Amino acid sequence: AAPSRRYVLCEVVSEDPRCRQCIEDRAVGLAVRDAIGKVHGDYGLACCSISFTVKYLNAYTGTVLLRCRKDSYRLLCSALPFVRQLESRNLRYPCFLNTLHVGGTIRTCQKFLIQYNRRQLLMLLQNCTNEEERQCIQKSLLSCSLTEEQSQSGDEEDDDGTE
Amino acid sequence: RRELPDGGARPSVAQFKQLVVSALRELHGEVGAALPVDVLTYEEKSLSAILRVVSSGLVKLWSALTLLGFYQNRRCAFRVLQTSPFLLALSGNSRELVLD
Repeated sequence: AAPSRRYVLCEVVSEDPRCRQCIEDRAVGLAVRDAIGKVHGDYGLACCSISFTVKYLNAYTGTVLLRCRKDSYRLLCSALPFVRQLESRNLRYPCFLNTLHVGGTIRTCQKFLIQYNRRQLLMLLQNCTNEEERQCIQKSLLSCSLTEEQSQSGDEEDDDGTE
Repeated sequence: RRELPDGGARPSVAQFKQLVVSALRELHGEVGAALPVDVLTYEEKSLSAILRVVSSGLVKLWSALTLLGFYQNRRCAFRVLQTSPFLLALSGNSRELVLD
């Protein structure tokens, strides 16, 4: 039988805005593997690393999609709260990972992400303090359209102002 | 029971427990090290001990002890002689019974 996998969707939250430049697949993968090694030891690290990759990464929103085997996704999920910093090019920034969704396929995670991002945009609109930002967000909300073939729109919103 | 091939300093009870916990930490991480393990008896002369652990943790403990190879840079090995859910059963080892 084909090995079934679980896809874990999480977001990187950091107080330091410079952390965003650190969000790349190798840095995140190493940080997660490191945390699994500390929490679950050699056995857990080997178990989770069998089919582990960072499938998707969005530095603007801090969204990360990880893939692992179905048998070891619990080890992975329980180790995610122990990721405390991201390191790349000898720069370290403190951060934490927020787990948003665990799904069996990339498609379910993508559907969830689209809905989640829509809700986030609406919340940002409510919390807007600046008229300018308000207009900016309203424009992007109105411009996002969902077509059947490509449901990519509405995923990316570049607004660090209200972080 | 632990076997040390050369006669070196024998570990005390506390060092023995520390060794068990560090074996668990290496193989199973912080989760393994947090597994409640009790040393019920310990004989320094024969280096044997009776350990108590939750039954769900037996696999982790046994695998960690099996894969532990070094104590203070000396080779060592753990041999598990008997496991049982009842403490009274450990007083006699049925493997050593001889049929007349």
